[in-house]
Parts: sequence; structure tokens; C-alpha cells
Amino acid sequence: MPDRLIARRTFLARIGVLGAASAVGTAIPLTLPRTATAADADVLLKPLVDLLQPLLAELSRDTLSGLVVMTCPGPDRFSRAQGTPRSEPGAIEAGAPDFIINALDNFLPFPDQIATPLATALATALDDTGIPLPPSLHSLLLGQVNTLDQALMVILRNDQAVPLSLVVALLLNLLATQVNPLAVTGSLLSPFARLSLDEKCRAFELLEGPNADLLAVLDSNLPEPLTSSLAGLLQFLAGALLEFSAFGAHNEFAVFDPGTKELIERPVGWELSGYQPDGVVDGWNEFIGYYEDRTEVSA
Amino acid sequence: MRDVIVIGAGGGGPVVAKELAARGLDVLLLEAGPRHADPESEWTHLENDANNPLSGFLRFGPENRDAPAWYRETPQNSFIWQLSGVGGTTQHYFGNSPRAMAGVFAGYDGPDRDAYDTAHLFPFTYEDLVPYFEWVEATLPVQTAAMGTKESVFFRGCEGIGLPVQTSKTTTEDSFRPQENAILQPGGWAGKITGRDDPRLRFPEATGCTFCGYCMQGCSKPRGAPRNLAAKRSTDNSYVPMALTADVWADGGRPAELIADAYVTKIHSEQRGGETVATGVTWRVGATGEHHREDAAVVVLAGGCTEDPRLWLNSALPNPNGWVGRGYTDHFFDWVIGIFDDDTGSSRGAASAARADFPGRGGMENVGLTPGLQQFAATFSESGIRGHYANGRGPEGPWDGPAGRMIGPELKDALMNGIDRLLNVLVITDDDVEAQNRVTLSAFPADEHGPVPKVRFHQRQRSARTLANREFVARRAGEMLRAAGASKVVRVDWPPLLLHVQSSMRMGTSEEDSVLDANAEARWVKRLFIADNAALANSLGGPNPTLTAQALATRTAEKIFSRYFGGDGWVHREAPVVSTDTRISERLAELAL
Repeated sequence: MPDRLIARRTFLARIGVLGAASAVGTAIPLTLPRTATAADADVLLKPLVDLLQPLLAELSRDTLSGLVVMTCPGPDRFSRAQGTPRSEPGAIEAGAPDFIINALDNFLPFPDQIATPLATALATALDDTGIPLPPSLHSLLLGQVNTLDQALMVILRNDQAVPLSLVVALLLNLLATQVNPLAVTGSLLSPFARLSLDEKCRAFELLEGPNADLLAVLDSNLPEPLTSSLAGLLQFLAGALLEFSAFGAHNEFAVFDPGTKELIERPVGWELSGYQPDGVVDGWNEFIGYYEDRTEVSA
Repeated sequence: MRDVIVIGAGGGGPVVAKELAARGLDVLLLEAGPRHADPESEWTHLENDANNPLSGFLRFGPENRDAPAWYRETPQNSFIWQLSGVGGTTQHYFGNSPRAMAGVFAGYDGPDRDAYDTAHLFPFTYEDLVPYFEWVEATLPVQTAAMGTKESVFFRGCEGIGLPVQTSKTTTEDSFRPQENAILQPGGWAGKITGRDDPRLRFPEATGCTFCGYCMQGCSKPRGAPRNLAAKRSTDNSYVPMALTADVWADGGRPAELIADAYVTKIHSEQRGGETVATGVTWRVGATGEHHREDAAVVVLAGGCTEDPRLWLNSALPNPNGWVGRGYTDHFFDWVIGIFDDDTGSSRGAASAARADFPGRGGMENVGLTPGLQQFAATFSESGIRGHYANGRGPEGPWDGPAGRMIGPELKDALMNGIDRLLNVLVITDDDVEAQNRVTLSAFPADEHGPVPKVRFHQRQRSARTLANREFVARRAGEMLRAAGASKVVRVDWPPLLLHVQSSMRMGTSEEDSVLDANAEARWVKRLFIADNAALANSLGGPNPTLTAQALATRTAEKIFSRYFGGDGWVHREAPVVSTDTRISERLAELAL
């Protein structure tokens, strides 16, 4: 049992949950009563679940902030962390983290039949790669780790409560610590966000390619015939996450007033690219004639 | 009991509806998505509001934008970009209306006859289809594109690599030209002034294309124009208005009835005299969840290449040779970006008004985009991330470095150089019909309309001819951009972007590998016709498919009329009414349509 718990602690560190929870370590009960039934445990875990959910939301946001600056770095701390700071506004200023979280949680029609087993895999997977944890992640006692893990399972196994953004963030963090084990700890909340741009690209290479280790961890809970769909789905995700980050960092998402259907401010992407210098138009002085003055052709 | 029920008001369905309504038949046109009856108030020219494939007003999903888009399984790096709503995917298309290559039809005997997918030819000749091309070209109408800055740059590049200019509608050699576009040419002040809320840019001071640059966001320009005089001839602006007003412009015509938010979940059939015969449909009303059923003498399926096989399979219709959903072709697009030191006008004017064609190989066209979509296009790759990993690919050629998605500082610098200092080239491959690329039903649980489609593409195992064609055209695109003066050229190497999708319910010469006969009637279900891109026999040699699908749908309407309603064809003996006809505008105003 201690071996399993140690492996699980390593896994929780790799997906970023342990690091995020360490900040509130004193609020995590040492253990639950041995006699507690499953229903009792849920009640007893409720305060911890309530504490954990905003922490996980913050972990997601940090992870996805680390994602969107891949396509549009700026003057923010995530761009600095990846080693490509820029003086002009970037994805963070453009509101791209909110765009990608909103897209993943509210609009991407990702079937529960995949999302739920993925979440379950994250809830139960063990890590035996032997990544040594730095002393800062030992601040939680094993009993507390166990309690934290049970609370995480309550969240991940409740498919009503699991935002897809969280599942994606935990996946990216898992890949991040595969690329660079040292990313389990550092100045930002998320292991993925701690990577250099080179390392983030390597994480995407793993997601996009045939990553047997990742699939082995994730597909153990997928019923047939969905197992064969998982590899393809990860390839789709590897493409879509970057494409949607790029789209979200450069469109008008953050400055659109749906009530008036007008812009509140000039979008970052328009400013960067010099698009529509005077805003939306009804037409352009752009007609320069017909090639060789030909307005129609024969059959 | 209707005469005809048409499933789908996208690029093809409204063509049949309009033609048969004009003959006086009782036509019901059903559309799963919304109808945007007043784009001026319902649409914006903003790319997230319009084009977000998950939540935009031009997406593939129900009318209620708070509800998720409709999920389709794509178990590979790929993207399906189809639209629901009246007008379907033509709502955001660029109006490009080149004819198919003559070499993809039966009976072609030109010197390049072996250069095409000769195993999957159309079951009739090019000459057979020409009168239908002409009919659609006159109806929309299709016109030679006006030129803006980005076209002049594209033409300069084509001249620079020694291509001749094509001056006919039929392509006979490697050549470039202004697009033949279903976009009204600029008149009055259109294209001559820049502005917003300027009365000179309102109809009728301005007519036709105002060069606003928002083709992707649906066309409602010039402001104040009757719907049938909006510049871009998407079917919501052309064929649908004609179908709804057939009584005023056609002798004996009868207006078609259009019902939007009506998702067809089943095609009904019965056995008659040893044959399976289509008898009607059931649809689900999105707003209420209620189901309705109506019968018809003829059913026309035009839901799109992905949805047609899904509905067929969910209706348990016969599929004896297994070709329902197979042979899905997509022009295996690629994307090459030129970065210039001078103005290219990329974001201004019609999205694509210049092209070059390479018979037997494919073609290429210029495309101007808005910033978010520009960056989406630049990060959509099968070759990994440039400078980091190549995902087993990363081809090199007359572009800078290996192909792949730009990212980080390189991506940002490319855009900050100026969106109007870019020139994008869409590589359009003449790809082979391959049985392995197909639509099946997904193992994921059904949605409210039944089991959902799964689209499988074996993108790295396409035929040698398809792969060679793609490389040939990509190289020509790179050379053209260099000749036009690009200081940097990047090839992205797209995975399948599924928007020129074709032939998933193909017509063919052989019963072994086709679903439809030469009349576009299902071989194993009588009184059931297919009238969209799915009916096309092959990928046309590369040209954009809408015009050919519409010409074929016109021909199919004649076949339906002569076979089941005892009439004669009209294309060979009548002149078409143009969709901009004043009688249509006036009737639309009377009906507040």
C-alpha cells in the first residue's frame, strides 16, 4: 500500500495537482476515519472538494495560459517562463486563456464517453517512472496525499463536474513532466507552463505521435470499441489545441459586446497585424480593374 | 403527400428545389440549421462571432448558439469545416465557380486523358454537362472576377513562372486566370471608396461586390440590397430566394416551402414490385424536439458528404456493395504563405479572385483571411512544428526550411509584418477516389438524431498519384510566390481540412464502386436522388466543386421531372432566369423574406 501511495503521489505531482494543493496543505485532513462508508466519505470530503475545485481551476488556467503563449507570446510571465518574452501584447492580453477554456468547457462537443474514461484514468493512474520529487513536494504527509487523492477522485469521477479544460490541462502536465521531470516544481503553478518553448514542442510531439506510454496509462479504462478511437482523438487534440489557441489569440473574442454586436476595444490581433485600421468597413477602395481588361470569357 | 422533399438547403438542395418549383411541383425544402433571414441585423463581420466552428453563427450546429455544435468523430489530425443553416457551406464559401476538368468525364480523349482518376470517371461526357454549366453560370450568375491588389500580386507571380493566361471557361492547359466567381461585379461606388455607414456604399449607389473582405462571414453587401442582390451568390442569396418566389418568375411556377431547424432523422422506404422505393422522411424540430413525418413521390438527399451516408445508414437503406460513405475525397489541400515587404491587400476584397490550374494535377488559388483564421491556417499541420519536430514529414522545396506549423516568435513576426503583406495560396490537389477514406457510423453513442458519423482519412497512405500531385502544386505555389517577390515562403503541410468534400455517395459507371446511376438516382432505392457534392463521381481534377455539383443537380432535377412527373427537360430549349431578376426582389419584399 505505501508503494502504491508513493507511486500515486508521484503521479499527482506530475499532473500538477500535488504542487497546487501544497499551498493549502494545512487544510487537508490527515486521514479519513477508517470506518467511513463511501457515502460518509463523500460527506467528509466535501469541504476538501470545495477547497480543491478552485485550485484545480487555477491549475487549468495556468496550464492553458502556458499553451496559448506558444502561438502568441507577449510581455506576460508565461512567455517569460517559456523563454520568449515580447514587449508587445500577446495571447494573455488577448484573453486567449478564457477563449480556450470557454471553448473546451462549453462548446467542444467532446463525448462524455471519451472524457469520462480519460478523467477516470487520471483518477486512478499510477506513476512508476521513479521521478524523484523535490523536498518542497514532500510537505504533505502520505495520509494527507491519500485524502487529497480521494477528493480528486470525487471530482474526476463526477462527469457533471469535470470540465474538459481540466482534463486537457492534466494531460498536458503529464506530458510536460515526461519531457522534463524537473517541471514538477517551480515558480508557476503548472508543470506545462514551466517548460521552455522547445520543451512544450516536445510535449506536443509526444501527444501527436504514437506515444505508447501515454496511451497505456490512459486507455486502461476505455471499453471496446472506444480504445481504438483514443489514439486518433489525441492526434486531433494535438492539432486542435494549437489551432484554437492561435485563433483565440488573434480574434475579437475578448472585446466583443454580444448585446450591441460591437467591439469595446480594438482586438490585440488587429493591432498586431494592422488589420482594419479604422475598424469594420462596408467596403474598400480596392477595385483596380480587370486583368487585361477582360470582364467575361468565352465557353 | 408532396411531390418532392429535398433534404438540405446547402449548395445543392436549393438547386433542385428551385428548378422543380419552377415546373409547378409541390416542393418541401428541409434544413437542419437556422435560416438567417435578415443577415444585416443577425450577422457581424467579426471572425469569432461568425466563424468560430464551435459557437459562431456560421457553424455546424443547431439554431440555438448556446447549445454545443454537432459532434462528428474524426480519429486523426483533421478538421471538418461544414456549415448548417440555409445556404449551408456556401454561406462562407468564396464563390469560386470553375468548371470541372473535361478529363474526369467518360469519353474524354484528349492527350492528357490518362492523367486523371480514370478508374472513377463520370458516367457521361463533359459535353453532356456543358449546357448545365451554362445554365447555372447564367442563373447565379458566374462572372469574371474583378481585380484587387492581392490578385495583381498573384498574377505577377504566375506571369513570372511562365504560365499563360486562360481566356475560356473550359481549362485545356496549365494556366492562370481571374476566378470565374459567383460574385456580382462591382458597380456604382462599390470598390471605389473605403468607409462605413457611407450612403454611397449602400444599395443602389453601390451594386455588387464592395470589396469589404468579409466573404468568410457571409455576404449581405451592399447594405440595403434586396437579399437576391447581395454580391456573393451563396444559395441563401440565389437559389433559395428563387425557390421561394417561383410563382412570380416562372410560368406555372409554385413557391417551394422552406422549413429550417428541421433535422431529418430517417428516410422511409417500402418494397414495391421487388424494388426498394423511398416514400418520405421524418424530421425532428430543433426547438421543440417534436418529430414530423411527410410522404413524397420523390426524395432528394442533399445533406452534405458527411451527413448523407450517416442518414442513409441510420435509415437502414440497402448498401450491397459497401460504397455508401466510401470514396470521400477532399482535394487534399495544402497551404503556402508568402511574406512580402510591400502591400498585398490580403484582407481586402473578395477572399479568392485568382487561380491557376494544372490539368491532371490540381490547382491553386489566392486566399485572403482575417487575423485569427490566418493564424489558424498557419498552425494546422501534419508536419509538426517548424524548427522543433517534423512528425515524420517536413518536406523541403522552394520554400524556406521544412514544411510545418509556425509557432512562437516566428508565427507572431509573420503576422506583425502585416496581414496585408501576406499572400496565402491554397493548394488544391486532384486526388483519387479511395475506398479507404470514408464515413461510417461512430461507436460513440448516438445524439438526438441517431448514431453520428465518423470520418476516417488515411492521410499518409493516399495513392501515389494524389501524393505526387500535391507535391507538384505545392512546388508551383512556392515558385509563384518567389516570382511575385515574396521575401519568405512557408509551406504548412495541412492535414485534411474537410471542406471541398466530394463523392461519398458517388455516381459511377460501375455497380461495383458507386451508389448512384448516371441519373443520380440511388441504384438500390428508387425515387431517391442525391443532389450535392456527395453525388460527384470524383474530385473533378481539382476545381472547386460547387458549380459542378449545381450543374449536376440541375441535370438531376430534369431527370426527376421526366422520369416521375411525365415532363420534358428544359435546359436545352429554354433560357434561364437570372437570380438577380427584379421580380424576385419585389416578391421577397412583399413576403418580408
